Amino acid sequence: MDTLPLSAAPQDWYWLYDIPPLRLAIFFIAAFVGFYWAGCVFLRPILRQFVKHTAGANDIVGYVLSCFGVFYGLLLGLIAVTAYQNVADAGGNVTREAAALSALYEDVSHYPAPHGQNLRWLLRDYTRYVIKYAWPLQRRGVIPEEGTIRVDAVQEELLSFQPVTPAEQILHAEALRQFNHFLEARRLRLFSVTAGLPATMWYVMILGAVLNLAICWLFDMRFVTQLVLGGILAAYLGTMMFLIFDMNQPFRGDVSISAEPFEAIYTRMNED
Amino acid sequence: MPGMTPAATAPRPSRRAVLANAALLAAARALAPATFVGCSLGLPTKAPKVLVGLLHSQTGTTGGGGRSLRDIEFHAFERINQAGGILGRQVELLGPNPGARPDRRIKLARRILDQGAVAIFGCWTSASRKSVLPVMEEAKRLLLYAVQYEGNESSPYCVYGGMVPNQQILPALDWLESPAGGSRRRILLVGSDYVYPRTAHYVTRTYLAGRDLKVVGEFYRPLGDQDFSLVARMLRELEADCVLNTVNGDSNEGLFQALAEAGVDPDKTPVISTSIAEDELRSLPPEQVKGHYGVSCYFQSLASPANREWVTGFQEEFGHDRVTDDPMEPDWCLVHLWKQAVEKAGSFETEAVRQAFRSGLEFAGPGGTVRLDPKTQHTAKYCRIGRIRLDRQFDIVWESPEPIHPDPYPQVAFPGWKCDWTAGGITRGAEVSLDGDL
Repeated sequence: MDTLPLSAAPQDWYWLYDIPPLRLAIFFIAAFVGFYWAGCVFLRPILRQFVKHTAGANDIVGYVLSCFGVFYGLLLGLIAVTAYQNVADAGGNVTREAAALSALYEDVSHYPAPHGQNLRWLLRDYTRYVIKYAWPLQRRGVIPEEGTIRVDAVQEELLSFQPVTPAEQILHAEALRQFNHFLEARRLRLFSVTAGLPATMWYVMILGAVLNLAICWLFDMRFVTQLVLGGILAAYLGTMMFLIFDMNQPFRGDVSISAEPFEAIYTRMNED
Repeated sequence: MPGMTPAATAPRPSRRAVLANAALLAAARALAPATFVGCSLGLPTKAPKVLVGLLHSQTGTTGGGGRSLRDIEFHAFERINQAGGILGRQVELLGPNPGARPDRRIKLARRILDQGAVAIFGCWTSASRKSVLPVMEEAKRLLLYAVQYEGNESSPYCVYGGMVPNQQILPALDWLESPAGGSRRRILLVGSDYVYPRTAHYVTRTYLAGRDLKVVGEFYRPLGDQDFSLVARMLRELEADCVLNTVNGDSNEGLFQALAEAGVDPDKTPVISTSIAEDELRSLPPEQVKGHYGVSCYFQSLASPANREWVTGFQEEFGHDRVTDDPMEPDWCLVHLWKQAVEKAGSFETEAVRQAFRSGLEFAGPGGTVRLDPKTQHTAKYCRIGRIRLDRQFDIVWESPEPIHPDPYPQVAFPGWKCDWTAGGITRGAEVSLDGDL
């Protein structure tokens, strides 16, 4: 392995995920409501000039907002589903990796000494590394590459075993099959560490939110009413954005995947 | 919001202004923590860190030993971090795998140092240590090396935690020659073909010159090679009554298989091994090695409370079937000696740490107290001889009465050579040829 763990730097804005979820949600809501209120004060008087002398302006603005809201709501809904699906897929990969690891551990437990013991040690070491070192790195948005060394050691030991009896040959073939499943799921887990919505999608979402709020500034109503009603809409938009942001990184934030499947099999391994 | 009516009354600027100001203030208050004071958002305080490199082959012929050292270093530093770190800084470990390729080892050593590691714990074979040392000397950082080795070396940028021949091989030879060791008279030297066995055998030959115990022959195989069929024949033809085994890594499987197939009886012709510990014994069929000997500073079967506690702690963390051995114990001691030196120096800076090492540190390890010799940067330690049991552990049959002072240049083998880093460094003596008169 040529890559040292510190070389994979996370993206600059990842620090946002280090904020506790409740505070982050408040931050999102405050940002949206604050933006809307600031717009009410500074931009609303200018924007209202466009519709000031139009009869039934509020109705027209309302229709536009409804129409826009449908498109924007669809976009947000689809993106939220996609983000949740990413988390669910990554969670599935983690479970598959842990299951393959567990099956491999059981298979190699029947290998003759010293291969069986060596492989059990190596698999236990890998599991310990994933729980203690890889997971905290993933939570920081860093792909944990040192696990590759441990996987190489498992592969080396696995391939050094030469089965003699037919039973050993069958067991070895099954162990190799499980090892391949494990490799595949592991690689998918690593790929999903930095998976997330593309930047363009974020730009479109933010632009949509800004336009949504800008349309609200066109309404002609009492200032306080404008602040309250628009503020409610802005607060909900902020909540939606927070939800999507929180689900965007499968291993980060409140809605994220834990190392629980690995912890469960590690406990089982140590009971042997 | 459609259908809402416009405000019927005339605007009331004063109220509006108040509300606008209130809104602005509220927005500013809400955004201020993120904009100006990130830490008040509940961001975890990032503890200062210090990087330490681990450079062990984790695959290949010495991969098993390298992984054991890596594990004990992780264990030691995890405990240190839990207790607050070193000088208030958490230790972060960089542990790439050089495999068995020397070029990769050098490249990775450079990369670790470039990333800011203050020291490197690493290497297994002498060849690997010698390849990395120039990199350390160039960068002026410390290599901490835990494995027993041949001596004939002392670098100002290396702290040696393992045994040298005067602490391991020479006491073992004395024991073999004594009635307790069977009053042996004819010894065959068997080793892997690289610098440690070659030098160790040279020291053995010079030490035994004129003694009752005679060297009757030497045999080498490349590192990793399994073909030792010739050794059994040499034993018979040369009428050797004991073997000094300096074979390293998984080649030992081939050696003991050849001896077992030739029917070598450990009571009549015992093999005393310098590089076989509990970890290596797992790969060797117990019926092939039972009754032979190992010489080491530490055995897992050591019955001291400190050792029991250490073994239990390691097994609870890494699995109850894991074993501890030499060089894991010296490595554990080395980590703690380095920690002591850093704390004494009050700095991670290499020169300050070296000065602290020169003040003579000691650490109560699982195998007894180890003391760092300021002159040679080697450690004084006990020598123990153990007889291999069927359960892949050792019965300790002999132990030095006190820790043996390290001498990387035994005068019998390296006349005139001396090392004293507190006063001038290395004094060079006569050039020696490792091949000697054989």
